[in-house]
Amino acid sequence: MVAVINDQDIALNERVNNLVRRARLAAAVFTQYSQEQVDAIVKAMTLAAIGAAQKLAIAAREETKMGLVEDKILKNLVASEFHYYQIKDKRTVGIIREFPEDNMVEVAEPVGVIVALSPVTNPTSTIIFKSIAAAKTRNSIIFSPHLMAADSSNLAAKILYEAAIQAGAPKDFITWIEKSPRLRRMTELMMVHKEVDLIFATGGTQMVKAAYSSGKPALGVGSGNTPVYVHKSAAVLSAAMDIIISKTFDNGTECPSEQTLIIDAGVADQLLAEFKRLGCYICSLDEVEKVADVAIDPHRGGMNYKLVGQPAYIIAEQAGLCVPKETKILLCPLTGELRHHKLAVEKLMPVLGYVIVDSVQEGINRSLDINYTGGTGHTAGIFAEDDEVVERFADAINAGRVIVNCPTSIGGLGGVYNNLDTTLVFGCGTGGGNITTDNVGIKNLLNYKRVPKRSNFTLTFKTTKNIYINPGSIDHLRSLKTKRAFVVTSRSAATRGHLSLILERLAPDCRVNVFSDISVEPDFGTIQAAIEMMRKAQPDTIIALGGGSVLDAAKIMRLFYDSPQLKLEEVAVNFLDFRHRLAVFPQKSNTQLVAIPTTSGTGSEVTPFAVFKDKVSHQKVSLIDECLLPDVAILDANLTKSLPQDITVDTAFDALTHALESLVSTLASDYTDGLALEAIRLIFEALPEVLKNGSNVLWRHKLHNAACLAGMAIGNASVGVNHALAHSLGAYFNISHGKANSVFLLSTIAYNSKIPHKFMAVSSYPLWVADQKYARAAQFLNLTAAEIQNNKTDTTSQTKYEGLVTALRQAIYDLAITANQPKSIAELGITEEDFKQAFPELVRLAFEDMSLRTNPSCPLVDDIEQLFIESYPPRQRPS
Amino acid sequence: MKQSELYKIIGKLTQSVNEVDALIASGKTDLTIDLSACTFISVEGLEWLEEMLMRANSHQAKVKFVNIPTTIYKVFKVAHIDNILEACGSAKPTGRDATTC
Repeated sequence: MVAVINDQDIALNERVNNLVRRARLAAAVFTQYSQEQVDAIVKAMTLAAIGAAQKLAIAAREETKMGLVEDKILKNLVASEFHYYQIKDKRTVGIIREFPEDNMVEVAEPVGVIVALSPVTNPTSTIIFKSIAAAKTRNSIIFSPHLMAADSSNLAAKILYEAAIQAGAPKDFITWIEKSPRLRRMTELMMVHKEVDLIFATGGTQMVKAAYSSGKPALGVGSGNTPVYVHKSAAVLSAAMDIIISKTFDNGTECPSEQTLIIDAGVADQLLAEFKRLGCYICSLDEVEKVADVAIDPHRGGMNYKLVGQPAYIIAEQAGLCVPKETKILLCPLTGELRHHKLAVEKLMPVLGYVIVDSVQEGINRSLDINYTGGTGHTAGIFAEDDEVVERFADAINAGRVIVNCPTSIGGLGGVYNNLDTTLVFGCGTGGGNITTDNVGIKNLLNYKRVPKRSNFTLTFKTTKNIYINPGSIDHLRSLKTKRAFVVTSRSAATRGHLSLILERLAPDCRVNVFSDISVEPDFGTIQAAIEMMRKAQPDTIIALGGGSVLDAAKIMRLFYDSPQLKLEEVAVNFLDFRHRLAVFPQKSNTQLVAIPTTSGTGSEVTPFAVFKDKVSHQKVSLIDECLLPDVAILDANLTKSLPQDITVDTAFDALTHALESLVSTLASDYTDGLALEAIRLIFEALPEVLKNGSNVLWRHKLHNAACLAGMAIGNASVGVNHALAHSLGAYFNISHGKANSVFLLSTIAYNSKIPHKFMAVSSYPLWVADQKYARAAQFLNLTAAEIQNNKTDTTSQTKYEGLVTALRQAIYDLAITANQPKSIAELGITEEDFKQAFPELVRLAFEDMSLRTNPSCPLVDDIEQLFIESYPPRQRPS
Repeated sequence: MKQSELYKIIGKLTQSVNEVDALIASGKTDLTIDLSACTFISVEGLEWLEEMLMRANSHQAKVKFVNIPTTIYKVFKVAHIDNILEACGSAKPTGRDATTC
């Protein structure tokens, strides 16, 4: 809303500025008050309001000529006594709520200066309610009363303010605009004043609209049009009395009051007879027209404001009807298209429409007709003992309050007939153009400061329960409890004689099936074929014999064999945080899984990971869950003696990458660090010896252990950017995992050991220490810091550990030379042309890889590109 | 050059402080008001501070507030009184419409 200010407004502006400034200072001073001080003030105000309830009710009735003194007294008491009862123990200062499980508290902050509009229908109770709410929340409040009720409203404000001041409240925390012809203009100016923080509007539609248009935060109410459905299961006689109580309350001025009854045919006669017996007048169809002519303004189609809050006989008299003076309500049957009936609107007077329906569906639909004729979001009512009907009604109706088996007017106020929050301000949600459907109160007059403390990721350490580690340990199979074993392996296992070593150790009465079609990085189709075979064989144990691909495939087979209802697309979902991931895995496995690695690389026998290749997307798909952990791992180095040298080197570099990446991972812990460091040491020690003599079982054993230790480390700390790059390159160019890892190692260590371009936002990683970790690995290998060339121009990303990090990179370079392992993409035989062509896709695949999530630096797309580019050309020894 | 006086407000500031008013009226001194022991400020106290600062300004006397407890500083911040904030060495409050998110 834009307030146009002209010369005539200057004096008004001064008055407005003065009021707002006084309120602003009071709000500032109020910030110092404690809960105890506030509660004492609120109590004093409440006592004053209770004491003045009758006086104020009389003043309101005399000034407005609306409603009933007796009911206005009740409203004043609801706004004071009931309101106080509900809020007296509520905290509104300092910490007001604690969430120990979330490590968080809420602290209250007052909203500041409130401009509050009050209506003609509730001129004193609204003031009482809002004054007490403002005090409880340490806000200052400026009242803009309705012109027709300003004297009584301001009297209420004055009485409460004086009581508050006596109790120690800040001067001027309640102020009001005096009754004058310029009251409305002052209100308009106030609503756009820069020092006003919130508009709390209860009043005519125009004023509420103006409040919402002011550009200020506003709490407003929408218009009502309350449908009340009387279901055949209702207690009819008490429903009739409740409706009369409600619709006659203050002569119908309460906006939640009943406007149209929707009555089940089965109880209609009884209900109408009871209404008649209790003093209501049931109009004929001709009389309905006459009532509508006076109750509804023909120009606007809304209620005739001159009859708001008038008794039934006055309305009847104006309509030309002759009814007894004590008539409580004029009941009007609404015929024809309900939505278009003149009386199907809000009528804040004792005129009540009704329709008769034949079914619950029709009852709810007709209720919706009324609800959606200007009353969405406000209030609805139902009388029914059938909870299912109540639920259907509540589900369909758009109302902030669905009042059950109570008068809707007093029921909507809260606290008298139910446990709704007591209010004189009925939020109508978006249905009524409001921000809330609450019974508005103190909770809406506070800013909530959430104070969450850092939640730490609970690190755990999990691995395979039983690990047999000595050469010759496959003999454990002789004691394996199984009646039906299913061996998953590769063709090479058979040719290398491993399969027969397994089979001859299983019990003679064990029925064994073998699936030996697992190739390197199998696709899901191969895995499904094995699962089909399993369903026929019904194994109680799966024995996975082979390299990482075989072990991973066996893990996936067991998962889908045990849980056939699982869908791959639902468990292979990427995630940012393990704790919040969408994938749901089974809690336990029924089938025993025994993993017997025949290479010293992946460590799959002790990890909760399983990877397969999607041949359509060229991507590697990872499943991650502890249910994938094998039950038994048998590490028998004898099975690796015949491993070809290139595969030995390849898998050893895979294990080395695992150890190095888990060491610097954001999930690394003291537990995984120890495993990673020892794995690194063993690989540097054992691999050269194995290369000299591949059949030396002692060094094979050490290498086997190193791969397993590194597997435990990544099983708990995961990997990083090196794996993301390797997954991408390997999937695209069909490169073995170990080689794909090797070609990036020197670059990723250099990258991770520099101060990151972007830090990784992980609560469990409070300090970037990747450079220290690499340095520690170098020290663990007894390396000394390399001399660093000083001709570098960019020294911003150098750290004091750079010498040791370089020494580590040199050692890895030297190991790769010794082992004849490629150190760059070019060495894999990928032409520069093919690499350039694949480059965008490689970057995309790497950037999507979940391995990045635990890298100590947060890799940007530019970083990924640079790592690919750096890793292409043949390398020089790091310096 | 004017001399400078230090005045310490102790306890609740709920009305004018005659000693300070006298110093300002003398026109001879700049003033540093130590608020470290101020425990509460009322609306009247705020109004006096604002008015005292205006008087000081008309006498070309500089007044600054030091050692301001957080509760008191918050009152100043919420009150939005420019000359009080300036005496605290604090910037004037600015609008919030410069940036959005």
